[in-house]
Amino acid sequence: MEDFGSPIRRSVLMILTVVFIGVLFVRLYVLQLLYHQELGKKSEENSVRTIIKEPIRGYVFDRAGRLVVDVGPSYSVALTPVEFDAQNLKLLSSLLQLEPDVIQERINRGRAYSRFSPTRIKRDIDFRTLSALEEYQFLLPGISFLIDSKRIYPTGSRATHILGYCKEISDAQLARASDYYRQGDVIGSSGIEASYENLLRGQKGFEFIAVNARGQVIGRFEQGQNDKLPNEGFDLILGIDFELQAFAESLMANYRGAIVAVDPNDGSILAMVSKPDFDPAIFSGVTPPEIWSALNLDTTKPLFNRATMTNYPPGSTYKMVLAAAALEEGVIDEQYKITCFGSYRFGNRVFKDLGVHGSVNIVQAIQRSCNVFFYQLIHKVGFQRWTEYGKKFGFGRRTGIDITEENSGLLPSADYFDRVYGKGKWTQGYLVSLAIGQGELGVSPLQMAMYVAALANGGSLHQPHAVNFIRNKLTNRVERIDYSSQPVGLSDRTIELIREGMMRVVEAPGGTASLARIPEIVSAGKTGTAQNPHGLDHAWYVGFAPFEKPTIAVAVMLENAGFGGSKAAPIAGLVIEKYIKGKVERRFYAPKPKQAPSDTTTRVTHLQPN
Amino acid sequence: MSNFFQEYFDAKIFFIAIALVIIGLVSVYSATYDAGATATFYKQTMWAIVGFVALITAALVPMKTIQRIALPSYAAIVGMLVMLLLIGKTISGSQSWFGIGGFGIQPSEFAKVTAILTLAVFLSKSTTDISRLKDLLIAFGIVAIPMVLILAQPDLGTAVVFFGMALPILYWAGASNFVLAVIIAPILVAAGALFGTTIFLISVAISSVMLYLARENRFTAVVAFGLTLFIGVSVQTIYERMPAYQQKRIMTFINPEADPQGAGYNVLQSKVAIGSGGLLGKGYLRGTQTQLNFIPEQWTDFIFCVPGEEFGFVGASLVLILFASLLIRGINIASLSKNKFGSTVAIGITAVLALHTFVNIGMSMGLMPVIGIPLPFLSYGGSALLANMTMAGLLMNVYAHRKEY
Repeated sequence: MEDFGSPIRRSVLMILTVVFIGVLFVRLYVLQLLYHQELGKKSEENSVRTIIKEPIRGYVFDRAGRLVVDVGPSYSVALTPVEFDAQNLKLLSSLLQLEPDVIQERINRGRAYSRFSPTRIKRDIDFRTLSALEEYQFLLPGISFLIDSKRIYPTGSRATHILGYCKEISDAQLARASDYYRQGDVIGSSGIEASYENLLRGQKGFEFIAVNARGQVIGRFEQGQNDKLPNEGFDLILGIDFELQAFAESLMANYRGAIVAVDPNDGSILAMVSKPDFDPAIFSGVTPPEIWSALNLDTTKPLFNRATMTNYPPGSTYKMVLAAAALEEGVIDEQYKITCFGSYRFGNRVFKDLGVHGSVNIVQAIQRSCNVFFYQLIHKVGFQRWTEYGKKFGFGRRTGIDITEENSGLLPSADYFDRVYGKGKWTQGYLVSLAIGQGELGVSPLQMAMYVAALANGGSLHQPHAVNFIRNKLTNRVERIDYSSQPVGLSDRTIELIREGMMRVVEAPGGTASLARIPEIVSAGKTGTAQNPHGLDHAWYVGFAPFEKPTIAVAVMLENAGFGGSKAAPIAGLVIEKYIKGKVERRFYAPKPKQAPSDTTTRVTHLQPN
Repeated sequence: MSNFFQEYFDAKIFFIAIALVIIGLVSVYSATYDAGATATFYKQTMWAIVGFVALITAALVPMKTIQRIALPSYAAIVGMLVMLLLIGKTISGSQSWFGIGGFGIQPSEFAKVTAILTLAVFLSKSTTDISRLKDLLIAFGIVAIPMVLILAQPDLGTAVVFFGMALPILYWAGASNFVLAVIIAPILVAAGALFGTTIFLISVAISSVMLYLARENRFTAVVAFGLTLFIGVSVQTIYERMPAYQQKRIMTFINPEADPQGAGYNVLQSKVAIGSGGLLGKGYLRGTQTQLNFIPEQWTDFIFCVPGEEFGFVGASLVLILFASLLIRGINIASLSKNKFGSTVAIGITAVLALHTFVNIGMSMGLMPVIGIPLPFLSYGGSALLANMTMAGLLMNVYAHRKEY
């Protein structure tokens, strides 16, 4: 008993007490100061739900101020994973007509983001589904409705490839996109919807609400001081004239091909048609997978923008490039003449012409599209200078149009042939074809339109663009978008001679495009027929008007349609007349759309909602 | 007057206890503020007033009286515990309450006090020699009787406290190191057995070193070691033969965070609450975890989250410092007291308060298994508050009579 309350025992108990309290202190320090951020975030996740407020996507107006892309309400079904009872999956599945697996998959992905915030299960439900769900809502905790917006196209025209479309973000897009996007969001996926996505979409808003441990809403989190209203998307004002667009689309009803009409003075696009196309409204709500795969698998490729992505030889429409090179480099002058006997022999090959043109100068050669003149000329100009002038007119590279779907085409050079065929393995005979725009030369209708616009405006190569202005919703000001333009670098005389030739193509007897003539308006142009090893020739026409002070430049390309002069030229004439006069008074052949049941375009039209 | 006060009034215990009670009331108010349980706060305030009277009374009653009533009150409480098992009302799955009017009384809280007093009476008798096996067993018996009855309720937490408080009391009273080693070694080895072979072997090694250093003769040491090893191996064997669900239940008891939706939910939310408080806290009544009821029944066992979340590191540290001061003062009073009874009472009370503090706060921060024992002075619970304030009063009483032999 002598040990009772001994100093050693007192010290042992003291030390134990201090050690235990010390351990608690260290733990407190670790939790509150070292892991504060992590645990603070957890506590916020616990009690704060974020409600995303979708912004209204920007509107699109045309050149004349017409509303061409509108926004309408669309209801989506959303589900908050933490509140949803998995036993209700079957009921939900039958109400939504969606496989339980699909719903489960969406719930899982939503949960991965946050089990406390609603995730979209189905977009753009119809009114019947909405009312059925509302009726059963008391049985389905965790189900809510979100009002989204969807695209509405109030005009008769489609302008499919320039407007593009929005659709629900794909996994691949989600992986690439910024943190802004979430599963179920809609994103611009082609055309201006894609390239102006950041402006059109606006900024999401957030509302923070506080919930208790059972998930019941108690009120706004911190009196809503952290809430943020959504910012409306900016509006776009296009250079496109939708009356002209509709008219151009109607002219192309039975063709595969493209029309590009631009204002030669600033490069703004007036109309852009690519056929076949599809109604962009089919993407405005939910896109059933069968429609998407039908569009993708269609052999006529309706998703493909023929105006900017095709890569066909331009045929004789390209002759002005060679003419410009020859005149500008002083290889020939305007008096220089050759005599055309209807064919041209190079080596042991004979290159044919379409007629016997006799003695022709440069202007006449353009007017009558004399091949022999240009066959001879290419050897005088040489490959290098021919390529160089092609570059000056913007060939072989992208035009920089404000949509992303565009190809650069192919402008060959000696280096290119060396690479493809090997040094010395190709002959000057290849050049002969290139002289008249055949062979290994690839251009898009858009490149052709910008080229002819440069000839029309006296030598400026503009950056083509669909959008002229944006309405900034933050400042509520209309802002002009600046685009680049560069001089081609031709003397006035050279341009004058080429324009003279092109005017004669249309207006003079013996010109190849008399079918492009427009009453009371003097226009200029050039026909082309691109040889096509896979089938019928592609028909080309490029032109501009009025001749003295051009306001429109047009390129028309018709796949497998035959001669440019007979097929493409009349269409261009009608487009030009419609634009300049506002209407076409003369009688013309207005094609009725073919009603072939096998045509996807038609099938898609039938399938589209409403 | 001031001399008289210094001599007989222990201001430290008094003010620390009052400060902790006030912090407790403030915390209970916050924890029940939005949960529709403000009646809880008023009840607790009433108990605090009753408790204050109990504290003053316990501080003033003559020591002889306390010694005299120790055994009868111990017997009365044991009788109540027996009755409880037969007629008590069930709260959260255990029969630990007597209903009297609108209030419930929890005899197990008072059983701690009476057990300490009775043990102190026994140990302070001149005829008692703790080194004799018979007296050691009697001392254990005094603690074991209420402990077994409480374990049968079943209230594991309080039972653990009974066992836990016996060790420091016996140690203080002069039990040899060997006795303590014989008690601690099997517990250590049995616990180690649940954590796999490596930990088991380490616990065996520590136990054998402990027994070796504390040995009195070779024979008893070897027997004790054999017994220890036998217990350890048995626990391991039993554990391995258990059905998986029972093993899982034991594992989640040891490591609740392994089951965040079930047993670990409270601990996880409690850690989140404390951690999210940061340095200065979210502000009074503004703790989201507390106010939005993420911690069920927070005002009882998880009350420490309130100062942790709403007043942050600064507030929680203050609470820890108050408890540390209280415990250190308790040990000092035990040393200052010249009579064995007072000294033993002081060490027993300090041991009970220390166990509650370490286990409860440790549990709130995920350091201890979740065994439901309240935080002294802070947790909601009238009986506990009354018992704790009585114990504070007894500490003051021991201080006042420290010079009497």
